[in-house]
Amino acid sequence: MKQSRREFMKTHAIAATAAAAGITLPGLTSAKANADDGIRWDKVPCRFCGTGCSVLVGEKDGKVVATQGDPDAPVNRGLNCIKGYFLSKIMYGADRLTQPLLRKKDGKYAKDGDFEPVSWDEAFDVMAEKWKAAIKQSMEENKGKPVEEITSRVGMFGSGQWTVFEGYAASKLYKAGFRSNNIDPNARHCMASAVGAFIRAFGADEPMGCYDDLEHADAFVLWGANMAENHPVLWSRLTDTRLTKEECEVHVLSTFEHRSFELADHGVIFKPQTDLAILNYIANYIVQNDAVNWDFVNQHVNFTKTPTDIGYGLRPEHPLEQAAKNPGKGKLEGIDFEAYKKALEPYTAEYVSELSGVSVESLERLAKLYADPKKKIVSYWTMGFNQHVRGVWVNGLMYNVHLLTGKISEPGNGPFSLTGQPSACGTAREVGTFAHRLPADLVVKKKEHRDFCEKQWQLPEGTLPGKVGYHAVLQSRMLKDGKLNCYWVSTNNNMQAGPNINEEMYPGWRNPDNFIVVSEAYPTVSAMAADLILPVAMWAEKEGAFGNAERRTQFWRQQVKAPGESRSDLWQFVEFSKRFKTEEVWPEELLAKKPEVRGKTLFDVLYANGVVNKYPKQTVTDSRGNEYLSDEMDHFGFYLQKGLYEEYRVFGKDGPKKGHDLAEFDAYHKTRGLRWPVVDGKETLWRYREGYDPFVPKGAGIAFYGRPDNRANIIFAPYEPPAEAPDEDFDLWLTTGRILEHWHTGSMTLRVPELYRSAPHALVYMHPKDAEKRGLKRGDEAKIASRRGEIACRVETKGRNKMPEGMAFIPFFDAGRLVNKLVLDATDPLSKETDFKKVAVKIMPA
Amino acid sequence: MKPGAHPGAEAIAAKGWLAAHRYLLWRRATQLGILGLFLLGPWFGWWLVKGNIASSLTLDALPLTDPLLIAQQFAAGHWPLTTALIGALIVLLFYLLVGGRVYCAWVCPINIVTDAAEWLRRRLKIRGQMRLSPHIRYWLLGAVILLPLATGALAWELVNPVTLVYRGLIFGMGVAWTVVIGLFLFDLLIGRRAWCGHLCPMGAFYGLLGEGALLRISATRRDRCDDCLDCFAVCPEQQVIRPSLKDADHTPVILAGHCTNCGRCIDVCARDVFRFTTRFSRTTFPPAEVEKPHQNPIHQQEVST
Amino acid sequence: MDKDNHSPPRPNGVNRGRRDFIVSALRSAVGVGLAATLLAVHQRRADALPASAIRPPGANADDNIFQGACIRCGLCVRDCPYDTLKLAQLGDPVATGTPYFEARTIPCEMCDDIPCLKACPTGALDPALKEIENARMGLAVLIDQEACIAFQGLRCEVCFNVCPVRGEAITLDMRHNPRSGKHALFIPVVHSDACTGCGKCEQACILEEAAIKVLPLKLAKGALGAHYRLGWQQKARAGEALVTPDTPHQYNLPSGASYDHGGQGLMLDSPGDAEAPPFSSNPLDTLNRKGGI
Repeated sequence: MKQSRREFMKTHAIAATAAAAGITLPGLTSAKANADDGIRWDKVPCRFCGTGCSVLVGEKDGKVVATQGDPDAPVNRGLNCIKGYFLSKIMYGADRLTQPLLRKKDGKYAKDGDFEPVSWDEAFDVMAEKWKAAIKQSMEENKGKPVEEITSRVGMFGSGQWTVFEGYAASKLYKAGFRSNNIDPNARHCMASAVGAFIRAFGADEPMGCYDDLEHADAFVLWGANMAENHPVLWSRLTDTRLTKEECEVHVLSTFEHRSFELADHGVIFKPQTDLAILNYIANYIVQNDAVNWDFVNQHVNFTKTPTDIGYGLRPEHPLEQAAKNPGKGKLEGIDFEAYKKALEPYTAEYVSELSGVSVESLERLAKLYADPKKKIVSYWTMGFNQHVRGVWVNGLMYNVHLLTGKISEPGNGPFSLTGQPSACGTAREVGTFAHRLPADLVVKKKEHRDFCEKQWQLPEGTLPGKVGYHAVLQSRMLKDGKLNCYWVSTNNNMQAGPNINEEMYPGWRNPDNFIVVSEAYPTVSAMAADLILPVAMWAEKEGAFGNAERRTQFWRQQVKAPGESRSDLWQFVEFSKRFKTEEVWPEELLAKKPEVRGKTLFDVLYANGVVNKYPKQTVTDSRGNEYLSDEMDHFGFYLQKGLYEEYRVFGKDGPKKGHDLAEFDAYHKTRGLRWPVVDGKETLWRYREGYDPFVPKGAGIAFYGRPDNRANIIFAPYEPPAEAPDEDFDLWLTTGRILEHWHTGSMTLRVPELYRSAPHALVYMHPKDAEKRGLKRGDEAKIASRRGEIACRVETKGRNKMPEGMAFIPFFDAGRLVNKLVLDATDPLSKETDFKKVAVKIMPA
Repeated sequence: MKPGAHPGAEAIAAKGWLAAHRYLLWRRATQLGILGLFLLGPWFGWWLVKGNIASSLTLDALPLTDPLLIAQQFAAGHWPLTTALIGALIVLLFYLLVGGRVYCAWVCPINIVTDAAEWLRRRLKIRGQMRLSPHIRYWLLGAVILLPLATGALAWELVNPVTLVYRGLIFGMGVAWTVVIGLFLFDLLIGRRAWCGHLCPMGAFYGLLGEGALLRISATRRDRCDDCLDCFAVCPEQQVIRPSLKDADHTPVILAGHCTNCGRCIDVCARDVFRFTTRFSRTTFPPAEVEKPHQNPIHQQEVST
Repeated sequence: MDKDNHSPPRPNGVNRGRRDFIVSALRSAVGVGLAATLLAVHQRRADALPASAIRPPGANADDNIFQGACIRCGLCVRDCPYDTLKLAQLGDPVATGTPYFEARTIPCEMCDDIPCLKACPTGALDPALKEIENARMGLAVLIDQEACIAFQGLRCEVCFNVCPVRGEAITLDMRHNPRSGKHALFIPVVHSDACTGCGKCEQACILEEAAIKVLPLKLAKGALGAHYRLGWQQKARAGEALVTPDTPHQYNLPSGASYDHGGQGLMLDSPGDAEAPPFSSNPLDTLNRKGGI
């Protein structure tokens, strides 16, 4: 009697919490005993962070009823983090969007109308009308302009959570179909600085090492990465090495003490932005103490320097940009070792200690570690380096240290940027959905690259615009300024995740000249700010492929149908292309070059082009004879994903940039992912190293073949101050970030009742003294204001993040507390990635 | 009371309905008003009074505590904080002034229930009467005080219907409704005023407190009494009326501790025999020696029907 | 109404009246005594608080004592800013009218100013408790290690993350995961010297039925027998050995060997010296060794 009562109360409590979060719980009442009967299991990679854990998904009666960590997956060996544990619940929130919703008044689209359900036909009709008008205007504006100067009024904000196929189809639709390079992924907020630095130093994107480094290193150094919370399963591997390997050391550097410090043998708190100086100090120490690996440096490294005083990526009229000598400049200048050595000289232990607040002993300990030729070291970083107004610089300074010591491209040695999203590498970077990129490390600026792309895509010569499109932050500004009028946001929640929401983003979305489309699964802040919402299929509701941080490409099959009229983003992009005739999007001179495309739709030209539609309709099965859905195949009549992938694969195999080879489509369904380059069916674990990398010629030992001279660049960059720092009015640093329990903006994880209960709201983490000074104590509601807005949240002084005095932290998962509206949209002028880590705020009782 | 008429019918005819229910209405207003003060907080967020009748805090300043509970705490071996002691002292002094069982008639929510049972009992002419001594309440009071001594805890509070219901109304009833229904049926079917008049140890406690109280009802115009018996019919503690009303040697002031000062006798008397006075008042109109109350058989009769 | 007391004495009444009175009084006494006994038994049962019900901070760990001090006024409930506390209603398994909370539903947020305790007029919530960290409402127990996913190596740690006595009441014991071979386990361990029993961990546990639960101290705690002490703890507490340390030891040892009394025991200066290597560095020595193969 008591027991049943208790159970009742608990169920009731959970249901109440769930109701608060807007959730129904599928199967809460169903019997547990026979749950495993008749479940079909198949592998799907986790759709959260960049770790790339494999999950077995259990389908029964058209629903995902359970998941389990894939015990045969090399990354996670059956394990998951707490978010991965709840993957089966993310698709079943009660407020799932299931039909297109258009803002209407009196039966017609109206910017100031309320959302009403509409058919896909009506949605695409209204959308196509807007797109055609904007494209027409663009074509008029582009008349007579060379292809290198073409601009467009249509744009797209995509995602590192797109599948490879989606990214590829979207990129093709925009860059070739609409002739717009205004397509950028949310990976711009995430990995752009790492990309920029990889390209500048090595001529090729993505890390040289792989997760096996986690077992091979003697020491780990974390630079602005809270792996403990944000790469939970990798952290578990790193921890295991620390526990089981003798003399293994863990060094953690950050601007505040977070959970990764729990394992740290050496925890270092430095003042924001001074990581630039600390890395130069380490390089200086290595040079001064003759710890340079001369064999390596002489053979494989060039010394260069980068232009300085480059501004902060703000609007050109901003005083900081006006004051900058070389705004946005990044062209490298070759120097010799002596010049490099001289440039490092000011970065003495004393000077850097003073600047960074780190003790001389601590600095020396770090420097000695890197200088010790016997220690194998992996340096990991995530957003601390990347979301940085000098992100490309600081990434580069990290490479400098590894290149000076030759600790790179071998088991246990190397710099390793960890991605935050499941396919930031696989889709955003490798497929090239950035405003400046094409697939497989090709870029729009190089004619040779565009030519190759046009040839593969069977486009008239000169179709692809050569001018870099609007990047993420610029898109917001152009929307606000009315220069970008049609905007499609897919698989991200930028109105919550993006910077300076109040001043730059929201005004652009609600600009009456603009039409904003958001493809979403849940009513997020972005969806609320849109004009048209398109309901999407999530994760296992579609066939997909992701690429994780260690270059591992993983595929999955469609497990279940999406609810209602939800369609995959891929379906949406390809289906929308049917609405455009080539004459409506391409100018006459382009059509004249290839008259046979006249009268055809973009669908015909881009997707039914003989390559993408090469694989006829078939039943998708696994090796055990289970059959799977393929909604896109049913609808379009051919195996769309396979066709897109095989067309894309050619870029890596035969493109101008070598070393991006992928295996055939079918190979990935037979493995838990393969790490590219995959040549003759063999994966590559460590790039640029003879024996491990098939592209390194015999006898070379090492070849950084992304660069024409096979040498990597050491790039000197100095310390420069951040765009904004605390002052009298706004006297605290604020940094934003993530927590273990929630994924990014919480649109999925907050709809899992258990995760909601475990961390329902964002808190402001403060030093107790800072709180006390402001008349606040733990649990009080505080107001946090920057020059751009204010939010309120409860104060936490003894939580998971121990803040130094003068600094606060707020995670950005909570849609009720849009912390990113406090953030200045200052970016690294080179990578255009926003600095979400250095905001000046004041905090007071609410 | 004329055969077939309800008690008070004459008074209604003479004084009008409102005047014939004056104290009843005041009492209900007070009972509900006090309860309402407690409910302002949980219902509307106006926290004038917090807690319940066991102990409360008014305007974050005035503590009031049930002295019987404090007595039980002492028995349990717990010395309460000054706040509770002061609260109990205030309550004690107040009831010493106005009459202990004013608590029963003017505050206790159970009173409404038992009054309703009694009303219905009269209406339905239910005559069942269990033999219950009104002294049982003193035995029970003794048990209430001794139980904490034996068990270490305030055992009576596990079942005390008065605090249970009051608390229930403010904090959530649970199954305390069954207690309300039980008491109602008990009073309706088992015996007239069976709970309040015979068993309730809180009534016993406050009755003892009321022995010396200042505020009293007096049959100042007992000369006018026409023996209609309406006051007896409505009185919850009938034994308290007779000496003052009918015994010329007795002061007209009702001095019995168990008089609840409910004023119902004043209401139902068409001849305004009763009124509120102090215990020291000796006033009678006209002077007692002028008109001797004539003998009436009712005085010798058993009061029970 | 009541014949015994209000009817006039009958003709041969005095004795009879007295007898009636005695009988009546006896009857009352027996009835009340019986009722009181039943109530006392009921109280014994009510003293056993159900394991899921937790008393507010400052309540005596012995619920019987608490129930002797609490007058069921609900002022603590009123001053609880998080609606954590509730008064037991009739029918609840907790003594009716007394304050409690259920961690899984709404746990204690451990307010620094302990408003519930301040509201208590009787001291049933002991005003001697000044720091909420010293409250001992119960003790969190990781009650089901089979269900807790941390024991399987999953990265959960929600209990650890929400614990307000951070890093003291719950710590993570990091161990090698022998099953995966490559990962670590992050095992939550509760420490009774710091756990207040606030129940945040139980509330946040993401399992369908919490694997970590706050239990009354009486249920949760074991106790070492009074006849035994843990020597190393006693020594650490005292800061010195309880019994005077030995005078220096001396041993009969071959040359090159030493003996460390308190530490490593037998130590050989160099393993090479202690035992001849199986093979000489000169291969000829081996090859020409006498005594055959």
